[in-house]
Amino acid sequence: MSTAIEMRALTKRYGGTTVLDRVTCSIEAGAKVALTGANGAGKSTLLAVLGTLAAASDGSFAIAGHEAERDAAGLRRSIGVLAHSPMVYEELTPLENLRFFARLYGVEDGEARASMLLERVGLWRRRHEPTRVLSRGMHQRLAIARALVHDPRVLLLDEPETGLDAEGLALLDAELLRAPSVTVLAATHQLARTAEWAEARVTLHRGRIEAVEGTGVMAEVATREAVRR
Amino acid sequence: MSAVAAVLEKDLRLLWRHRSGWLSAATFAAISLLVYAFAFDLVGDEVRPLLPGVLWVTFLFAGTIACSRAFTDEVEQGTFDALLLAPVPRTALYAGKVLANCLALLAVEVAVMLLATILFNQTLISPVLLLDVTVGTVGYVSLTTLLSTLGARVRAREVLLPVLSLPLLVPLLIAGVRATDAALELPAGSAPWTLLLVVFTLWSLIASALLFPLAVER
Repeated sequence: MSTAIEMRALTKRYGGTTVLDRVTCSIEAGAKVALTGANGAGKSTLLAVLGTLAAASDGSFAIAGHEAERDAAGLRRSIGVLAHSPMVYEELTPLENLRFFARLYGVEDGEARASMLLERVGLWRRRHEPTRVLSRGMHQRLAIARALVHDPRVLLLDEPETGLDAEGLALLDAELLRAPSVTVLAATHQLARTAEWAEARVTLHRGRIEAVEGTGVMAEVATREAVRR
Repeated sequence: MSAVAAVLEKDLRLLWRHRSGWLSAATFAAISLLVYAFAFDLVGDEVRPLLPGVLWVTFLFAGTIACSRAFTDEVEQGTFDALLLAPVPRTALYAGKVLANCLALLAVEVAVMLLATILFNQTLISPVLLLDVTVGTVGYVSLTTLLSTLGARVRAREVLLPVLSLPLLVPLLIAGVRATDAALELPAGSAPWTLLLVVFTLWSLIASALLFPLAVER
């Protein structure tokens, strides 16, 4: 099985504070991995670094074979990101939002792709309304469609359940968390739900990997003394 | 090129739907002209030598107000990160933003020139003057758009942008005023002011385009 995400001693410091501390981990292609840990453990920072939104202070990583330092554009083309905020334009309609992102990613026939995704996330009937009038859950559905617009091979998700009702959660499971042949790394606090979709669980504590459970992940686990220090 | 066009089209659409920012800048520019007219008693033939300075100061202040929102809205909505996630050169995102801001500001500036023409009874619309204004606008928009990126995540951004940008724009202001003097057939000295305006604009464009990827790095 090939490696989808490879992190080598990944470190992130903000000023004098080390938020990620030499995280070394590899995730197999197609694996569904839950990233857990208390608030401030470094989950969002790890996803931001992997998404190239924040530069690593030290270490290196590659996604889908694209090294971040040498081929950032190729890496970005391989990933779909769902963050805390839906990252969509409130003054544009759902259809205009997806058309724009499809164009930005160079998706062929972006119009058809946008329409198909709006159908899949249940926003087709509201495609011409300004996004600002949609509910929080519908924003999240649109964010799911945005993350999928370029058909990424790796999904980086930061608390993807936010704002979703039961129907929305089912959609999230079907489109993202259980998507076949797509690698998923999702930060979550909903530990009970991870049993439904995750094959592995990586736990962060103070920026270091404290524990790894399940299959599809190889990681350097810090000793308890090192993590507590 | 496709990314530049996509950002340009999206930004123009957003500017049209979210007009309050640009209308504020246009209203500010119109009120500034009226204030200058009353403060300096700008009537008759005496007004002509003062017009270049009045116009450019109005353009710079209105432009600073308008450009301050260039990235603030994106940061507040989280869409700035969505742009940065796209597999396109970050300079392309910057170019799209600059083009959209330039087009919107040029529309405001032409309206200001028409208003000044009526208010001061002086002919201001000429091809040479429009060229100078266009070149100068590209120069200061490229710089203020970059600086608005730096200030977008700062709480005191409304103050930060003018404080950072206006000192840097002094050479452009001098060249713009002098080039406008020449376009209005006023004494402007022997220096090639339009050429200096072009040089400043090129410097500003190239430096800002090179610095933008570093400015957005976290």
